[in-house]
Amino acid sequence: METKNKKFDFVVLGATGEEGNISSKDLLESGYSVLLCGRNKSRVKNLLEYKKAKFAYVDLNNVKKTASILKSSGAKIAVNCAELRMNINAMKACLISGLHYLDLGGLQKMTIQQYKFDKNFKKRKLTALLGCGSTPGISNIMVAYAVDKMDFVEHIEVGFAWDSNIKKFILPYSIESIVHELTTDPIVLDNGKFKKTKACSFEGALKFKGVEKQNTYCIVHSEVFTFKKYFEKKGLKFVHYKAGFPEHSFRVLDMLIKLGFGSKEPIKINGINLRPIDFTREVLKKIARPKNYKETEDIWIKVYGKSDGKPKKIEMDCVVKTLKGWENYGSNINTGMSISIMAQMLNKNLIKKEGITAPEEAVPSAPFFRELNKRKIFVYENDKKIN
Amino acid sequence: MKTIGILGLGSMGKIIAKDLAETYNRKVIYLARDVNSVKNLAKKNNAEIRYADVSKPKTLAKAFKNIDVVIHAVHHEFNLNVMKACLKSKTNYIDLGGLYHYTKKQLKLNKQFKKNNLTAILGIGASPGITNVMAKYASRFLNKIESIEIKIGFKDFSTYKQISPLSASYSIQTILEEFSWKPAIFVNGKIKFVEPISGREEYNFPEPIGMQKPQYTIHSEIATLPYTLKAKNVSFKIAFDDEFVDKIKMLKENGFISDEKIKIGEDEFNIKEVSAEILKKLPKTIPEKINQCEIIRVIVSSENKKIIMDAKISGETIDKDTGVPPSIIAQMIVDGKITNKGVFPPESIILEEDFFKELAKRRIYIYQNNKKIN
Repeated sequence: METKNKKFDFVVLGATGEEGNISSKDLLESGYSVLLCGRNKSRVKNLLEYKKAKFAYVDLNNVKKTASILKSSGAKIAVNCAELRMNINAMKACLISGLHYLDLGGLQKMTIQQYKFDKNFKKRKLTALLGCGSTPGISNIMVAYAVDKMDFVEHIEVGFAWDSNIKKFILPYSIESIVHELTTDPIVLDNGKFKKTKACSFEGALKFKGVEKQNTYCIVHSEVFTFKKYFEKKGLKFVHYKAGFPEHSFRVLDMLIKLGFGSKEPIKINGINLRPIDFTREVLKKIARPKNYKETEDIWIKVYGKSDGKPKKIEMDCVVKTLKGWENYGSNINTGMSISIMAQMLNKNLIKKEGITAPEEAVPSAPFFRELNKRKIFVYENDKKIN
Repeated sequence: MKTIGILGLGSMGKIIAKDLAETYNRKVIYLARDVNSVKNLAKKNNAEIRYADVSKPKTLAKAFKNIDVVIHAVHHEFNLNVMKACLKSKTNYIDLGGLYHYTKKQLKLNKQFKKNNLTAILGIGASPGITNVMAKYASRFLNKIESIEIKIGFKDFSTYKQISPLSASYSIQTILEEFSWKPAIFVNGKIKFVEPISGREEYNFPEPIGMQKPQYTIHSEIATLPYTLKAKNVSFKIAFDDEFVDKIKMLKENGFISDEKIKIGEDEFNIKEVSAEILKKLPKTIPEKINQCEIIRVIVSSENKKIIMDAKISGETIDKDTGVPPSIIAQMIVDGKITNKGVFPPESIILEEDFFKELAKRRIYIYQNNKKIN
């Protein structure tokens, strides 16, 4: 590791994955120095062309070693883009090494576990900002923006929908997250109480901004948990998360799961234990985006409540399209770029909250939306562009 | 005492074992890698067990000692190894097919089998097998064969307690190969390879099967019929239901049945092999009452005449039409009804009427232009 005499602005854990790659590139493009951490150096070749980037082998299973690399990096902030099952280990490494922490979310079970570290982070005067991608992330900040305009909030719907101009299957995001989302019975907030519902239950076909009408499915997501935490005092009683996949993508994901390719139960191949999901991830990574392939994604929220005693509904959309220079990442840039923006805001002291927090509590919406605009990611309030 | 050995007691091996238990009263030896897993079956059928592992060819010749015919019911990639072991142990050999490419290689062992005074019959299940013998039977009514078209249709009327997400009527590994290897067809006297899953078009099979969509599939009939029956055109098509094709197509389109290797961590794996293992772990279909129907159709045409041959099995499990023929033929070899030496495809060595008669005893009926002939 070549970090001994080098001070980095940021450490990106899981820089070798797609979101890690995007957030690292965004940080580097913004002029910062980044220590790229992961297990496979060949996956950050593109980033190592930047002068301010270096690679360090990091296995998050080893907390002590990770902490020592974090400490010697000289960075103040760790951006965790690794698989969500590594979130606790990454947080522990940050606590040992004294770094602020950001991640892309832990769905429901992991997020609840992560909040148990609140005191530990507060004690060390550190921030741990959970769920800083597109959703959770942009969605939470939009909700906070909308809720702030209401005296009373009753119902929040939140979700995403995306599509591509060429109907070829491209893995939309981490297969591990997708399998978890589509197979785990989600919690919804129903009349003020958490209620379990059936995994991937149909939520109807909806229209979206920039994306044609699509079927939506109720999936497990951390927003249900954090919205209750932060907006219950405003009267919030109902939260539903709705995921929209284009038919050509959902069909493949659904079949792969039904055919056992999402299983985490190891099988023996020539005497070697192999988890089908690890195999599936590697096979799907080999599928390249075709020439001229373009995606559009809409991260959307609908907030129902009251303002000045009158019923009020605010609909917001954050629309991203495949960007020039970022074609290899499709619409996934909104996730990696968001965590990069929030990390930079934390670095500039625009995010001050200590302990475990979430974007809807800690991230001021105006500067965040401005940064999205710089990256051609546009935010709409009731169909009107606001950034 | 004449002894028949069954190498591999998987789903096909078990059907062969059942037929032998019901029709052959001499010695049968089960040759298995996992000896314990076949103990109960051997006890029930009064069979002997010997350890044999096809992945360790050196052990095979020893296992085949004093066996008169070995029926090879393990995957076709082991066909050559097993044949070579048979040459060493002086054992006659039967298998269920070599998916064209293996069959071609196997035929090259003809001289060695002849020299050793042994018989090897390649591909004697339902298809290849019954198909080849029906084509031979039809050829006697025609002067010059213009074309042989093989089409297989299937319909399931069974009731199930549980249905697997991917119910296949034969080895999943073979299916993945059939869907990924380019099918061979013989066109105007020449072998041509076409795209997998191509040629899928509607075809109306006799009732109760009706409309199906057979597709070109790599099969070993194409490796022999053009030459043995001097046919100008030979094709093979099998029908799968739309949902099944969709699932395998999805796997194919997204790289899951590639023959390439993939690195995961420090280890390297064959993609198709891992996919097959994942699919094998799916919950199994549990039948309540089996009621399946299959029609194996062979249309043999000359310039001005067409013979339609059908083999039909109904009201039970269709796997039986693949498991029964090797039992019949093994018995014909030990009984001295098949005596030619060398390596043969079924159409070159099996006496059609005798074979059809045995099939009829097992409720597999043969039709010539819709008229039952056995």
